[in-house]
Amino acid sequence: MKLIFKILKIFCIVYSVLFAVFYFDLDGKLLYYVYEPLMCKHYDNIEGRRNIIDVPYDMEEKY
Amino acid sequence: MAEERMTKMSLAEKLGYRKGDFTKFLKYIADDPKKAAHDFVYGKEHGERRLGDLYIQPTGLYRHREWRGIKDTFYYFNKIWCYNYGMMVADILSSEQPLTFFKGLWRYRWLGQTYIPVLHWFDRGLEGLRGPALRGSAWHYRGMVHATIEQFMRMFARDLRFHDGKETDLWKKTVIHNETVSGSIFYPFWDNGLVDIPLEMIPYFVTCHVNSNTVLHYIDAIQALGLPSDPCPMCQAESGVGIMDDYPDSAPCFVTSNEACDASVATSVIQDWFLNRPLFPMPQPMRYDDPLVQKRCQEEIEECWKFVEEQTGVPFSWDSFKKYAELQNEQLYFEREKWEVAANTSSYPINGVAQALYRIYYSQYGWNSTWKLLDSRVRKIMEDCVANNINTFPKTRHRVIAWSCAPLYYSNWCTWAYNCWGLNTIMNMDSLMFNKEIRTDTYEHALEDLSWYNELAPMRTMAVGGHEHVFQLWEYMEKFNCDMVMMYDQLQCKGMQGIHGMFEDEFRRRGVHAIWFPHALPDKRTVSRHEIRDCISNYMIDVMHEEPLDPSLLDFDDDLTW
Repeated sequence: MKLIFKILKIFCIVYSVLFAVFYFDLDGKLLYYVYEPLMCKHYDNIEGRRNIIDVPYDMEEKY
Repeated sequence: MAEERMTKMSLAEKLGYRKGDFTKFLKYIADDPKKAAHDFVYGKEHGERRLGDLYIQPTGLYRHREWRGIKDTFYYFNKIWCYNYGMMVADILSSEQPLTFFKGLWRYRWLGQTYIPVLHWFDRGLEGLRGPALRGSAWHYRGMVHATIEQFMRMFARDLRFHDGKETDLWKKTVIHNETVSGSIFYPFWDNGLVDIPLEMIPYFVTCHVNSNTVLHYIDAIQALGLPSDPCPMCQAESGVGIMDDYPDSAPCFVTSNEACDASVATSVIQDWFLNRPLFPMPQPMRYDDPLVQKRCQEEIEECWKFVEEQTGVPFSWDSFKKYAELQNEQLYFEREKWEVAANTSSYPINGVAQALYRIYYSQYGWNSTWKLLDSRVRKIMEDCVANNINTFPKTRHRVIAWSCAPLYYSNWCTWAYNCWGLNTIMNMDSLMFNKEIRTDTYEHALEDLSWYNELAPMRTMAVGGHEHVFQLWEYMEKFNCDMVMMYDQLQCKGMQGIHGMFEDEFRRRGVHAIWFPHALPDKRTVSRHEIRDCISNYMIDVMHEEPLDPSLLDFDDDLTW
């Protein structure tokens, strides 16, 4: 019985926290202000991409 | 200007704090506790919602998400927000190689920047909805999210970059194709293990709807090489993804197309350049109902099948084609039932944006078991609405048909238009394409119908298919009982611009209220969302002499939103 109440209590806390995240759009704020700028910075600095301009355009018939 | 505004905002303001809000809230309860309790339980009436006050300008984030009454708020929280976050994880875990998700996230801008904030895409499209309209529309969004995850996880499971350049069995049995080559072309190979992946659908098309910032990077990339900014921005962006080397290398061969119009031919040339592998061009005629072109189109499909067999070693199967074509037909029959309900009742439980995006998505991508599952849920909701005569959009003042090519960065304009002005978008032009069942009694019939189906693709059907198709607007206005037209004016579409004046003349002659609004397909910098809203509001005020249902939605800044 004690265990059930404990599980219920944990469930209620998790549910309430998730609802707060949802209601106050905390997921959106985190993604907008923190996640996206960091990731964009990362994508801007990716090294090792092919430079397409350096790839010769082969006009041979391939099919 | 929006950037300047952002730099002046304090952290508290960025998080949604506004001086006086709490006092105002307490006063609202104290003034009329009974009404406040009623609003808490059932949500505010449409005219009192002030949805515009929820935004943190110019980010488009919410101070808090909308309180829709107990039932609908918790439906949104449990069955949309929690459910979709959970199902996104489940979709990734049930894919062929779940761990490649992290590699993809780290490597591809279009994934990391776009698809993580996907729930905000739901928020924007479903704003203000209640009851069955909220439920029905959300299921359509769920279907699109599932299919999107399926596609990018398939790309990553095959991507040579993530497998040290090793050509795996999965890679060998895959075809990539232009996003406007219908997925149904590949049905004959599905049961024999072939997977087809529309190349641009996920890295370009869907990103524009979910996060309008991602695509700007790719447009800038191609323009930095000297491409002028006036060609169709769709072709620009798709080429830009290639120039940035951001397409996964997931198949040994490629089937391309001229997309809707010949503007995209140059895109295929660039794709041929960077993909550098066997390519089969399958252009579609713009004047597709010329009987002289049909035989040629059918021959091209057969040549494409031969190409796929040769390149992948997967054999053609008539039984496989028949099976999936018949499933696709079933889905089309349900779509027609939905149109009947939308046309003849006020009980259609899907809003304009969900209807438009779901229809264009599934008919282009091809059959998927998820569509069947979700359609059965939507059918239940719709039948319940019809049986109980539920008015799903009770504040409808005008029934709107939207015509021409829609702004991808503001596909949810119709949600705003309903909330602000009571403009209910019943039907979109692009939803009416692909309206063709495929006969499966003989091979010849099937080939003939498949060829037609593929020709009736987005934009081609009624935007560049000849004036007799462009002017099917009048027929559909009558069919769907619409009294107003929202006329998209894609500034860089030379095809539709050529017929602009004829539309003006016809609108005048027929006495039809039509609102033109300009846009630039994926590029929000050319015409902002704010300007689009102004076009609509100015017409509603100056010509229709109407008052907004929600004045808080008249003027707000969302320039920096996703």
